[in-house]
Amino acid sequence: MASHGKGTNNPNVKIAAGAMVCEDCELIGDITIGSRTIIHPKAKIVAEAGPIVIGDFNIIEELVTITNKSSSDGNSGKVLIIGNNNVFEVGANVEAIRIGDHNVIEGKASVGSQVEVSNGCIIGAGCQLNMPELVPENTVVYGGKCERRTQRERPPAQTLQIDFLTKILPNYHYLMKPNLQPRQASVKK
Amino acid sequence: MELQDDFYNVPQYIETASGNKVSRQSVLCGSQNIVINGKTIVMSGCVIRGDLANVRIGRHCIISKRAVIRPAFKKFSKGVAFFPLHIGDHVLIEEDSIVNAAQVGSYVHIGKNCVIGRRSVLKDCCAIADNTILPPETVVPPFTVYSGSPGKVSGDLPDCTQDLMTDITVSYYQHFKPHGKGK
Repeated sequence: MASHGKGTNNPNVKIAAGAMVCEDCELIGDITIGSRTIIHPKAKIVAEAGPIVIGDFNIIEELVTITNKSSSDGNSGKVLIIGNNNVFEVGANVEAIRIGDHNVIEGKASVGSQVEVSNGCIIGAGCQLNMPELVPENTVVYGGKCERRTQRERPPAQTLQIDFLTKILPNYHYLMKPNLQPRQASVKK
Repeated sequence: MELQDDFYNVPQYIETASGNKVSRQSVLCGSQNIVINGKTIVMSGCVIRGDLANVRIGRHCIISKRAVIRPAFKKFSKGVAFFPLHIGDHVLIEEDSIVNAAQVGSYVHIGKNCVIGRRSVLKDCCAIADNTILPPETVVPPFTVYSGSPGKVSGDLPDCTQDLMTDITVSYYQHFKPHGKGK
């Protein structure tokens, strides 16, 4: 894990200790990344209209785009807050107002700029949400017609996968250095 | 039908001794774990995740632009394991597809913009239509076409699929020519 010259020297990117952020991803604007969050190479996070705050224990896979977009109404300047334990799978496109906790956004799914996702939702592969709405808790959006149902319990946390990736990613990638101290002593290095 | 010649810029591609053509704009993570057997084309914007597990790609495969090849994981009681991903020979993967499979056989055609769910098994001589979403752990039997979201059987392939796919991939490779200076 030698230091590497190429990393984005964006002073507005704040990375908590214990987060794994690959250098090969694009971080633009004011972004805060919580501890134990994993960002795979080739992810793209653009804080264009306002800051983006990403919580703890999230997985953001490759080719995911997370944008804080200025929508037409006076929404610009708002902070896009992403909670904890979310998984964004390969190629997902997220412009939401807010993402809660324990959500799974599957591959190639798209969440539009006027959508608010609560907790425990699964947005299925290839599904698109474009209308302004608040997605209720534990909603599953699935299939070619984006049908919906409510599941009884939220999707399980991916702690094991995070543990595995935390071990393996430093062997293969240059990582961005954390520059925030952990809030509690519980985060082990 | 004869394919049109498709020219590429020489500095954009690396050609290996075994005839692989790999774009410099592709992302090969953990390249020591990626085996590409020969005469395979990897185009720009592709992501191959060899860091998660071994990836083996056979001969005469075509991996089009922005495709993602990514070993799938499974949760066990004692942690997570990523499965090595084997792709057979003469496999054509078109643009923007995500392959999360456990195994892809030979003579397989994966269309544009597909998502192949986690730990799916694609047997030899099958085809996935454009924009298909295959759910996790799907097994695609030989000589079938899957399409839709979620992917379902939508047709059969002829017995000569093996020859057809061989023809397609070999002629694609032959027509994928360098755009030499002054030639």
